Amino acid sequence: MTVPHDAQTISGRITRMNLLVSGSVLILAVLAFFSYDMLSFRQSLINNLRAEAQIIGANSVSALTFDDPASAASTLQGLDRSPDVISAVLTTDNGSIFANYGPPDDAILSGKHVLGKEETEHHWLNGRRLLLAHRIMFEGSSVGVVYISATLNEIGQRARHYLLIAGLILLLCMLAALLISSLSRKLVAQPIASLAETARSISREHDYSVRAQESTDSVEMSLLTEAFNEMLQQIQLTESALRKSRDELEQRVEERTAELLAANRELEAFSYTVAHDLRGPLDSITGLAYLLAGASSQLDPNSREMVQRLQDSTKNMSLLIDDLLNFARASVTPVKHDDVNLTGIALRIAGELRSLEPTRRVDFVIADLPHVDADAGLMRIVMDNLLRNAWKYTSHHTKACIEFGAKLTSGRMVYFVRDDGAGFDPGLAGEIFQPFHRLHSKSEFPGTGIGLATVQRILARHGGEIWAEGAVEKGATFYFTLPTGN
Amino acid sequence: MLSALSHLVSRIRSIPAIACLCLSIFSAPAEATVSQPSQSDVEAVYLFDFGKFIRWPAGSDQGPMSICVAGAPSFSTGLEKVVANENISGRPLEVRRISRTEDESGCAILFIDTTQREHADELLQAVAGKPTLTVGDVPDFLSHGGMIQFQLVAKRVRFSVNLDAVNRSHLAISSELLKVAIRVKSHTPEGAAQ
Repeated sequence: MTVPHDAQTISGRITRMNLLVSGSVLILAVLAFFSYDMLSFRQSLINNLRAEAQIIGANSVSALTFDDPASAASTLQGLDRSPDVISAVLTTDNGSIFANYGPPDDAILSGKHVLGKEETEHHWLNGRRLLLAHRIMFEGSSVGVVYISATLNEIGQRARHYLLIAGLILLLCMLAALLISSLSRKLVAQPIASLAETARSISREHDYSVRAQESTDSVEMSLLTEAFNEMLQQIQLTESALRKSRDELEQRVEERTAELLAANRELEAFSYTVAHDLRGPLDSITGLAYLLAGASSQLDPNSREMVQRLQDSTKNMSLLIDDLLNFARASVTPVKHDDVNLTGIALRIAGELRSLEPTRRVDFVIADLPHVDADAGLMRIVMDNLLRNAWKYTSHHTKACIEFGAKLTSGRMVYFVRDDGAGFDPGLAGEIFQPFHRLHSKSEFPGTGIGLATVQRILARHGGEIWAEGAVEKGATFYFTLPTGN
Repeated sequence: MLSALSHLVSRIRSIPAIACLCLSIFSAPAEATVSQPSQSDVEAVYLFDFGKFIRWPAGSDQGPMSICVAGAPSFSTGLEKVVANENISGRPLEVRRISRTEDESGCAILFIDTTQREHADELLQAVAGKPTLTVGDVPDFLSHGGMIQFQLVAKRVRFSVNLDAVNRSHLAISSELLKVAIRVKSHTPEGAAQ
């Protein structure tokens, strides 16, 4: 199995997920708490300032009424006890500054934040300061306004505290996530890994009877294991059904093959017996025809011709019987192991053919090849058939060349017999080796149609092969192989 | 302090409030256009304001509140302008000029100025024991049994309180008022005065 380089373990993903979830929840929670705290802090600051303003206002009524700024200033001095308050200003009803505590806020001096005539109270956020204005009412009319400015520095301080606490909790979350991931490795990743190992060993050994161990850790894991085991069960059933049907098929094929072989052997034995038994009567006919031809001077020309045809027919029949016997023998007799010199056999057959028809101009090119391990008698039949065929199918040419050789092709010796004779239609190359199947008419080239079938059978019995190449009037080449080392 | 004065001026002359707001915030040039209020103008305003810090005993805190003036006619004219359309705790205000002791009855506040200094004792005698707040700018007003006495301190109108006299007439005076008084004359400690 190949694992991608950047693949992650499940437990690693769970760790990351835990961190992501807890981190974002924490950040959201801190944000929410911080916002709420800021709001409530601001509100409480406003409430405090309002209370201060109300007290100062109530205590400054007489000072404002009877024009006593010193008294008002001493009242404002009471803001000492409020650490958040930076400055305060008391103005008269028409807005002029009456008394102040600390340096007056720029916003008041510049007239940027002034309480409207109809307003009784207002507050402004001015940078890092909160400014609250409160109208001082006495006997139903306004006598002045008190402005108090407070710092919001504490908000920044609180934000730092929140950040620190959030950081600490995040650190704890990370530790917890690591702990959980090591637990989850045991709870989640391990059962999956063991299941995967089981699957792998099954696919390697093809043993479908193995079952994954049921997991009790989680519902999903036990479902997965169950489904996996069910699938194994299915595969096992299918596989055994397949094997059964294959075995049955094999058995049937064997039976049929045996039946066919038996039938074929009977048929071959029958034809051998027939051919063998035909030889006796034929010999008598041949002998009698010979005697009759010896007394041909006493016959009229018509009868003489009939005797000649009788002799030709008996000769043909004798050839046919020989071929049939050869064919039958090639199928039946056991293959012997001899040291066979194919070159020698080829040279001898070439000599016989030349002596039979000394007038023909045929060049024999016969390569000097190493001896082979084969049945000498059967290999003689092979060479005889192939060379005789070449001799026969070049007979219509005034000059011919017949070649016997071998070449090493992809590690095995391929022998060939080549001629430049009549050849054959390449589309019919497969039919050449069928018994009694002829590509040329008997009048064109005489023959029984058994020779090549016999050759093929002999080579097959040796464990070799034969095939042919050719084209009409371009000659034919017969290739054959013999297994090496037996 | 100039701005504080202009505040007073605005109340005296009923200068529109918006104009005041515009002029008053640190606008020194604006001050030059405002003439300094006279001592009697300030005293008229304070007289009216005292009413807000005094509680009259039950029975004499209903109906229109009378501010009686024994003094210069110009003062009462100025005071009439100050109290016009005003009220204290829902009580409308009226200004009465009195010359002698004959019609001092029903006065919630009695003001005696320096022009009436010869009659001061007489007038104070007449309202003694009655729920009348006596205010004057006569020197030694307090030692003659008066309750609040105006004084000029550094060109500003301030006042002293005779808490004993106030207590004798069953009036309740706010501690806020005492806070801004320059002197409180009392046999009892100041904190206990109410």
